[in-house]
Amino acid sequence: MRNRTTRHVASIVMGGLAAVAVMAPSLSLADTGVEHVQGKAVYTKWCAPCHAPGIIHPGTHALETKYQGVKSGVILEWKDLPASYVEYMVRHGMSVMPQFRKTEITDSELKALAAYLSRNTP
Amino acid sequence: MRVPPGVSSSDFAKALAAFERIVGKEWVFTSEEDVDLYRDAFSPFMGEPEERIASAAVAPVTTEQVQDIVRIANQYKIPLYTISTGKNLGYGGSAPAYSGSVVLDLKRMNKIIEVNEANAYCIVEPGVSYFDLYNYIQEKKLKVWIDCPDPGWGSVVGNAMDRGGGYTQANYRNHFDSHCGMEVVLPNGELMRTGMGAIPNAATWQQYKSGVGPWIDGIFSQSNYGIVTKMGFWLMPEPEAYLRGTISCMNFDDLSAMVETLNFLENSRITAGFPDLGSPLLGYSPVGQVQLFFESGTSMSEEHMKLLATVKDGRSPELEAFGRQHNIPCWQVWLSFHGPMEVIEAQWQASIRHFAKIKGTQAKVVDKTHLPINPADASKFHEPELGIPALRAFSIGARSPYNPTPSKGHMWFSPIIPRTGQAIIDANRVFSKAARELDMPLFRTFTLPACFWERSFIFILATPVTTDPATNKKYREGFKKLIAIGGEHGWGEYRTAPVFQEAVVDVYSFNNHALHRFHETLKDAIDPNGILSAGRYNIWPKHLRGKQS
Repeated sequence: MRNRTTRHVASIVMGGLAAVAVMAPSLSLADTGVEHVQGKAVYTKWCAPCHAPGIIHPGTHALETKYQGVKSGVILEWKDLPASYVEYMVRHGMSVMPQFRKTEITDSELKALAAYLSRNTP
Repeated sequence: MRVPPGVSSSDFAKALAAFERIVGKEWVFTSEEDVDLYRDAFSPFMGEPEERIASAAVAPVTTEQVQDIVRIANQYKIPLYTISTGKNLGYGGSAPAYSGSVVLDLKRMNKIIEVNEANAYCIVEPGVSYFDLYNYIQEKKLKVWIDCPDPGWGSVVGNAMDRGGGYTQANYRNHFDSHCGMEVVLPNGELMRTGMGAIPNAATWQQYKSGVGPWIDGIFSQSNYGIVTKMGFWLMPEPEAYLRGTISCMNFDDLSAMVETLNFLENSRITAGFPDLGSPLLGYSPVGQVQLFFESGTSMSEEHMKLLATVKDGRSPELEAFGRQHNIPCWQVWLSFHGPMEVIEAQWQASIRHFAKIKGTQAKVVDKTHLPINPADASKFHEPELGIPALRAFSIGARSPYNPTPSKGHMWFSPIIPRTGQAIIDANRVFSKAARELDMPLFRTFTLPACFWERSFIFILATPVTTDPATNKKYREGFKKLIAIGGEHGWGEYRTAPVFQEAVVDVYSFNNHALHRFHETLKDAIDPNGILSAGRYNIWPKHLRGKQS
């Protein structure tokens, strides 16, 4: 069920990008795509083991418990996640999540990650 | 900018400039914002003056750069503190033991130099995590397993150097014991290889551990005598099948016989997988099941939970009667087996036969599967027992319906106790009494030890780190008292965070601390300037000795 939801969200995002490309030819689709490829790779390596869908991921379980159904515990699904908040969390940590050093996630990787995680946030 | 104690600002500036020439400006961190990233995220001193913090950090990417940094550190007497991936959470994280040290961050040294399938070994640099090594092996479809701790995002080298443990077969679970050969940058910047690696063009560096002459690899673990830049490890050939089952004993008084039988089976290698002890009746989850509790809660009835309150030192006649009435065993040992199906089925049957001498014992197969498993099914298991790294262990401490007040981390109190049922009972009596007196939330009813190592138990108690300095102070002081109490009974910690290393080492005091004095003698001979990781495991260079509180 979770996987289906994730794929559905992913297809909306992909569709959204295509629409943007059609409507706004000045925006480089290639650049946008590259950024999310890197951001997604950083997410997969550093965030997913705790934040992927499902309560077997402690970050997701913690957020589900915190938000009590008001919003999803899956950060990939959030639509109110500013890039600046992602950057703050990665460098400061929360509860048992430690902060991450620049030898783990560089500033440019963090920017890409933040852009990816905030892609659905207006 | 912070400056290491005893170092002039101008010398520090010169050293930092030299570090920048060696690794590039981007990889020398001096701003408070960047250096704060090296704070121990689980520090019980968080935000207090005693918190151990770095002055700067430098991150080399090659062994030659490490050597150059060490030479510069000698020139300007800069204290360095080495970390591999900095994920030793609960044991100090990425922060130095000596405040003001420059953290030598080896995370960028992340090359997997070799994974040899035919001889089942690997050679890795310190920045390689268990996830990195696992993914590399999967991508290349190599038929070898790693043995990883839980959580599995730490350094393969670093975990072994701090003598961590894992969850597969006995001869791989002790991560330092399963290493074979290391390359070390000595405190004078010289490069050394141990074991067969001391032969130029060595042909068997990862196949024979000790070479010839004194075998010195051990002195580089939990110490500050060198910087390991490469390390070999023996890997387990991918087994054909996996079987895991439970042996349940009904009575409290069965504990000693159960442990004796387990010891015989393990020491005879009839069972070699991670043995895991639990108590369904006392509500104690075995190590591999703890995450399930925080994910899904308990299946205990209200009546059962109510009776747990009547338990004293593990015993309660009412609870035991309830257990017999509802067929809830007092003890359960989880046994796991890896190998050809016909072999592990026979090992399981032999194990059942040996446990059957304890009256009323019940045996049950929990998992029986051919390997490799479908990766999508991994979460049905405690992943590390199948050599798969995961972060599910962070459910300990993280918010969940079963842990509504998340912690800020934890300190592991983990003395080694004898492999006997009586020692389990004694440790519970001694430490639960102490915890009550010290007002520390360490026990619910009864604690069972972990079986990472053969031959001994580790009695692990998680001490929470909170956001309240007064509570942290109480727990820190209590932690030190527990260490001393353990020492009075002949029990000592196997590993601890820098803030407790002095107290732990103090317990190992035979003949007026002969062992510690020998460690200091070595330090003075090997590292006369006291450059490397001052204070690690309470080994201080001469000029700082006795000056630490």
